Amino acid sequence: MAQKRGISVSLFSTCLADTFFPSVCFATVAVLERFGVDVRVPLSQTCCGQPAFNSGNRKEARRMAAKFLSVFQGEEHIVTPSGSCAAMVKHEYPVLFRDEPRMLSLAYHVAGRVFELSQFLVDVLGVDDPGSTYRGKVTYHDSCHLKRGLGVADAPRTLLKAIRGVEFVEMEESDRCCGFGGVFSVKYPHISCRMADRKIERILETGAQVVTSGDIGCLMNIGGTISRSGYPVRAVHIAEILAGSEGAVP
Amino acid sequence: MEPRVRHFVRNSEKAFADRQLQVALSRTTAKFLENRAAAVAEFPRFEGARESASRIRQEALDNLDAHLARFITEARKRGAVVHAARDGPEAREIAARIAKEEGVSLAVKSKSMIAEEVGLNGALEADGVEVVETDLGEYIIQLAGEPPSHIIAPAIHKTREDVSRLFEEKLGEPYTEEIPALTRIARRRLRDKFFSAQMGISGANFLCADTGSVVLVTNEGNGRMVATLPRVHMVIAGIDKVIPRLADLPVLLSLLPRSATGQALSSYVSVLTGTKRAGDAEGPERLHIILLDNGRTGILQGKYREILKCIRCGACINVCPVFQSVGGHAYGWVYPGPVGSVLAPLILGLPESSPLPNASTLCGACGEVCPVKIPIPGMLVELRGDEREQGLKTPAEVLGMKAYASVMSRAGILEAFQRVAGVVSALLFKERKIERLPFAFSGWTERRDFPAPAPQPFRKLWKRQRGIRPWTR
Ligand code: SF4
Repeated sequence: MAQKRGISVSLFSTCLADTFFPSVCFATVAVLERFGVDVRVPLSQTCCGQPAFNSGNRKEARRMAAKFLSVFQGEEHIVTPSGSCAAMVKHEYPVLFRDEPRMLSLAYHVAGRVFELSQFLVDVLGVDDPGSTYRGKVTYHDSCHLKRGLGVADAPRTLLKAIRGVEFVEMEESDRCCGFGGVFSVKYPHISCRMADRKIERILETGAQVVTSGDIGCLMNIGGTISRSGYPVRAVHIAEILAGSEGAVP
Repeated sequence: MEPRVRHFVRNSEKAFADRQLQVALSRTTAKFLENRAAAVAEFPRFEGARESASRIRQEALDNLDAHLARFITEARKRGAVVHAARDGPEAREIAARIAKEEGVSLAVKSKSMIAEEVGLNGALEADGVEVVETDLGEYIIQLAGEPPSHIIAPAIHKTREDVSRLFEEKLGEPYTEEIPALTRIARRRLRDKFFSAQMGISGANFLCADTGSVVLVTNEGNGRMVATLPRVHMVIAGIDKVIPRLADLPVLLSLLPRSATGQALSSYVSVLTGTKRAGDAEGPERLHIILLDNGRTGILQGKYREILKCIRCGACINVCPVFQSVGGHAYGWVYPGPVGSVLAPLILGLPESSPLPNASTLCGACGEVCPVKIPIPGMLVELRGDEREQGLKTPAEVLGMKAYASVMSRAGILEAFQRVAGVVSALLFKERKIERLPFAFSGWTERRDFPAPAPQPFRKLWKRQRGIRPWTR
């Protein structure tokens, strides 16, 4: 297994994972440490500001972005288990600060150092086998912002397929939006649920026991729909599958 | 068309309840998308073509007044009468005047979204002119008395069965579900109209500045007949339709049908230049071109100018999962889907259309397929920002966002909230799920569970596990 000594990573845990799914953060750390990475967690981080940005509340978004940049500036690699949060920092911070040259250059500087977990493992560490074991038939949902925002679609698949015990199956329309959309799911719950229904249909067609993804938001939406209706499939974050440690909190 | 954009939510509920609509929507959009994907796969230069098309459209906009002036000069040289309409009412007035002066009592029309935008048919009909739609889809919805629900496939909300019943009821034709038979019925009905109409009405897919040509792209050949059979041809087009050169057409035409329906080529492309000259086999004796502004000059000057690059292919509409769920009528105006959600606020005004920019998950599918690379998702976010700046957001949202930013501004405050949430959660939500959220969030949990906050947030657990090191602060 490739060990990359001397690489240090700063974990961008995201407010959602921090608050609702600590196990996802621990799994992320575990996978990174397995490859010899030195992981630190800046404790003063909070939220990247995506909810405010996406809903058009720029003032609040800018405030959050400035906070994020002050916490993470100077870090070598910033890794997060969420495609949409990574895309927020990478693509939207420059939009937010387009009229503030000083902040803009800082935003670009940090943007170049942000990676989603699977992207970091494959593209930076050169991992092709996560070295873990997980039992089950697994299908993968492309988070919109991970795939179309960051252009990451192969990395998670490469990793999942290499895990011992995983039978990987593709679902139809794997990159069709699950209907989460952050504030959208609160403002337009009925449309959001229709979209989730179609996603679930596609998942069930595969006969997979587990649906996974690289985005907390999608998993909240898909998982919440599964849990309410009792469908025979579980929504599990890809970090936990890579770590082989579903739901575990030390 | 009277805008009903405000009722987006109510309209979508109606769409959900309409089983026929749901069937029709998923059938047609799936077919379009499948065909588009195949057409793109078979066209290796697709990305390059997108790049050039985007550049051509940008070039047209960068110098729109010069290109327009050139178009007008060239078209006039070739016998066209060019009219400028500032807005819908002016366009209607001009069209009605043309019909009167040319002595028109019957007009045949090919599909035109601009005509829908200004309510052209109504204006002419009020003056006693019969307007007959000749595009099959438009013919169907005209019979049904409905507005179009898609810019490429106006009757996309109707199933074959719907159409069969409609033809049986309105035309007294024997019931048939065979598409060729239905088409034959429409053709037969339309044939006489084509030959007796005094005027043909069409939109324009492109206006070529260097030749004064009007370009029409259709699948049924009706565009060509509308433009050439009657004595008078009236074109109505947005000023954004201008392209610098006739030579720009091939690349645009390589993208339009592929993006729209997945065809490599549309069945009919007509380049109409001027009136009939001595020796021409066909063509109108009189050609009127109405150029409509309707807010476009204003858009051109602002930060949304790129939306004017749009070539109305409808790809963003087909691919939009929200459109696929609610259909075109829910959007309440002429242009549905992502492109409509940008155009409606710009043309009708943001207060009038404020649900639309928000009715998107920002999944990015529209931006990915757009053949002229319009950054639609970014524009939707920008419009949401304008909403806040113009005081159009609900007080609850603004308050909520301020509260959110205050909590998130300091890790300590967030932690205090997490501690309370963790205690409450451990007491109330033993199964780690919330089945009913309060207030504005209640919709979320109507059909899904929400995760319960963890008893201890990650960073707290991490601190306990690894201890605090100075550099983590
Ligand atoms: S915005 Fe782009 S994809 Fe949508 S109709 Fe216009 S050209 Fe086509």
